[in-house]
Amino acid sequence: MSDRILYDKGLVKRHSTIVLIEHWAIAISGLLLVLTGIFQLPIAQRYYITEVPGLTWSGDFIFSLNIHYAASVVFIAACLFHVFYHALLGHKAMLPKKGDIRQSIQVIKSFLGKAEEPPFHKYLPEQRLAYAGMVMIIAGLIISGLVKTYKNIFAPDLSLGILLWATWVHNLLFILFVLAFFAHMAAIVIKPNRPMVRSIFTGNIRLDYARHRHPLWIAELEPPPALPEQTQPETPSREPAGEEEPLQDVSLPEPPDTEEEPAEPAPESEEEHPEPPVKNIGEPDTNHKP
Amino acid sequence: MSTQSNSGISRRTFLKAAGGVTLASTVGLPKPTRAQETGRLATLIDLSLCDGCPERDTPACIVACRAKNIETVPEPVDPIPKLLPRGKIEDWSKKKDVTDRLTPYTYLYIQKADVEYNGKQKTLHIPRRCMHCDNPACATICPFTANHKDTTGAVVINKNLCFGGAKCRTVCPWDIPQRQSGIGIYLHILPTLAGNGVMFKCDLCLDLIVEGRNPVCVDACPRQALLIGPREDIYAEARRRTESMNGFIYGDTENGGTSTLYVSPVPFDLINAAIDTGPGKPHFNPVVRSMAKTDAMGTAVLLAPIAGLVAGVAAAAGSLKKSSKEEGPHE
Ligand code: HEM
Ligand code: SF4
Ligand code: SF4
Repeated sequence: MSDRILYDKGLVKRHSTIVLIEHWAIAISGLLLVLTGIFQLPIAQRYYITEVPGLTWSGDFIFSLNIHYAASVVFIAACLFHVFYHALLGHKAMLPKKGDIRQSIQVIKSFLGKAEEPPFHKYLPEQRLAYAGMVMIIAGLIISGLVKTYKNIFAPDLSLGILLWATWVHNLLFILFVLAFFAHMAAIVIKPNRPMVRSIFTGNIRLDYARHRHPLWIAELEPPPALPEQTQPETPSREPAGEEEPLQDVSLPEPPDTEEEPAEPAPESEEEHPEPPVKNIGEPDTNHKP
Repeated sequence: MSTQSNSGISRRTFLKAAGGVTLASTVGLPKPTRAQETGRLATLIDLSLCDGCPERDTPACIVACRAKNIETVPEPVDPIPKLLPRGKIEDWSKKKDVTDRLTPYTYLYIQKADVEYNGKQKTLHIPRRCMHCDNPACATICPFTANHKDTTGAVVINKNLCFGGAKCRTVCPWDIPQRQSGIGIYLHILPTLAGNGVMFKCDLCLDLIVEGRNPVCVDACPRQALLIGPREDIYAEARRRTESMNGFIYGDTENGGTSTLYVSPVPFDLINAAIDTGPGKPHFNPVVRSMAKTDAMGTAVLLAPIAGLVAGVAAAAGSLKKSSKEEGPHE
C-alpha cells in the first residue's frame, strides 16, 4: 500500500493515484449511469426534461442507451480493475471486520454527542460496512446489466424468467444505488468526517487529524520504535507554511474545499516526534478543532 | 405442448393453401429435431390472395381476432386519472368498433391500396398487424420486461406488468402497440405521475401456437392468404411465391428481419404511396433497425469486465514488481 506519513508536510498519504482514478472513474460514470438509467424510462418527454438545454437528447431512447452503455464500459472496467488490483495486492482496509456493526453504532452515537468515538483504523467501521453494501449493489447492477445488454444484441428471446429477474434486480438496485449515493454524501457532510474530504481529491489528509482519529492506522505506518536516528526531521524546509501540495501526485488538482482547512502552518508539535506510535487520542492538541 | 406441432401447423396450412401439390415437397418433410417443440415460426401474408372479404361487413380475420381478444381488455376506471405534469389519456373503450386502424381492441385491420403497376390497375387488400420482429426494440428495451419475444418468434405484451408508457410504440417503426388508459398496474402505484394504461397489440395467438394450433386469423381466412409455419419453410415459400409471381417481399430484412413476410405482385413503395398511413396505420417504408446503432457500444460493455480484469491484474503485477525492487537496497 502506498499509505505513508509525509512528516515534512504534516500529511498522511491516504489514497494512491490509482485509487483516486478508480474513485472518480466510478463516481462520474456511476452518476452518468443513474442519469441515463432514468432516461430509459419514458419520462423525459412527460416531465419536460427534453426541454432543458443540454438534455434535449433525453427523450431519444437509442441515444441515451448509447450513453448508458458508454458509461457502463468505464464503470464496469473500473470496478473489476478495483477488485482484482486490490485483491491481488492484499489490500484489506475497506473490508468489514468483526465487530464493525457494534462499533459503528457507537460511532453514530458519538456523532450525536452521546458516546466517545473509538479509535479508528484507516476507515471507520461504517465505511467498511458501506463498502461491503456498495459492492453487493454494484455487483448486482453489473451482472443484471450485462444480461440485459447481451439480450439486446444477441438474444432477444432469452428466457422470460431470466429477463424478469435481470430487469427487476437492475431496477431495484438502481434505487438502492441512489440511496447509497445520498448516504455517501451525507457521511462526508458530517463534521468530524470532513477532514477526510480532501483525500479524495489530493490523496492526503492532515497528520494531526489522522493521529487523533485514526491512531490504529497511523500505528501501522509509523516507523518501528527501535529507530533512534532522526532520519526524517532533518528537513528544515518548513517555512512555506501554506504549501501543502503533495509533490508526488502533481497531476492532481488542489481541492476546491480549502475553506475546510484553516490555513494553519504544518503542526509544530507533531513533526518533532516521529517516535513510537503514541496513542495520542487524548493529547491536548491545539491544532484541530473538535 | 403437442408432439407434432410443427409439421402439424405447417402441413395443415400449406396443404390448405396450395392444394398440397407443390408444397408437399418443401414442407412435408418432417424435421425430427424440431418435432418436439414449436421452434421458430414465421407467417406469410400473400397479397395476391387477400381480397378483403368483399362479401362480408368486416373481413373474417378481423372478426376472428376481435372475437378472441376484445374481452381480454379490462374496462377502464371511470374517470380515468388525469396525468401530471402532462400527457394525453388515450381512451378507446367507447370506440371499440373502430376497425380501420389499430386500436387496443383491434390488433389486425385491412389497408386498401389502389395502385397502377405495369400498366395495370390493381386493388390490394393488406392485413396489417405486429410484424413480430426478430430483434424487437419494443420488447428488448421495455424497462419492466412487460414485453417479451418468445422463442416461437411471437412478441407478447403482458398486460399485468405493462405501465402504458408507450416506449414500445415510440421505438416500433410501425407504431403498432396501442394504448388504453385507465387500466393496469399503474393505477395501483402513482396513476397521475407514472404510467398511462396498458399497451395492446397482436400476440400471434401465442396461447394457440404453443399448442401447435394456428392463430385464429390464419384459420379464419377463406382464401388462405395468411400462413404460419416453421420459419425456414415460410421464408423459402415466400421466396418461391415471389419468384413465381415476379413479385416483392416485405418483412424479411425490415427492422433487421421479422416473422411476417408480405408477398406482393406490386412493389411496396407503390403500395405505401397508395395507403392511408399515420397513427395506428402502419406504412410500408424501408426500415433499418434503430437499435443497430447501439450494438457496437453494447458489445464493448460485454467486453469491459475482461478489460478491467486484465488491467487490474497487470497493474497489481507491476506494483508488486516495483515494490520488490525498491525493497532491496532501501531496506
Ligand atoms: C460526485 C460524487 C462523489 C463524491 C463527491 C464522492 C466523495 C467521496 C469522498 C470524499 C470519499 C472519501 C472517503 C475516505 O477517504 O474515506 C469517497 C470515498 C468513496 N466513494 Fe465516493 N464520492 C462520489 C461518488 C461515488 C460513487 C458514485 C461511488 C460508487 C459507485 C462512490 C464510492 C466510493 C467508495 C467505494 C469510496 C471509498 C474509496 C476509497 O477510499 O478507496 N463514490 N467518496
Ligand atoms: S412490429 Fe413493432 S410492435 Fe411488433 S415486434 Fe416489431 S417493433 Fe414490436
Ligand atoms: S395472430 Fe392472433 S392476435 Fe394476431 S392478428 Fe391474428 S388473430 Fe389477431
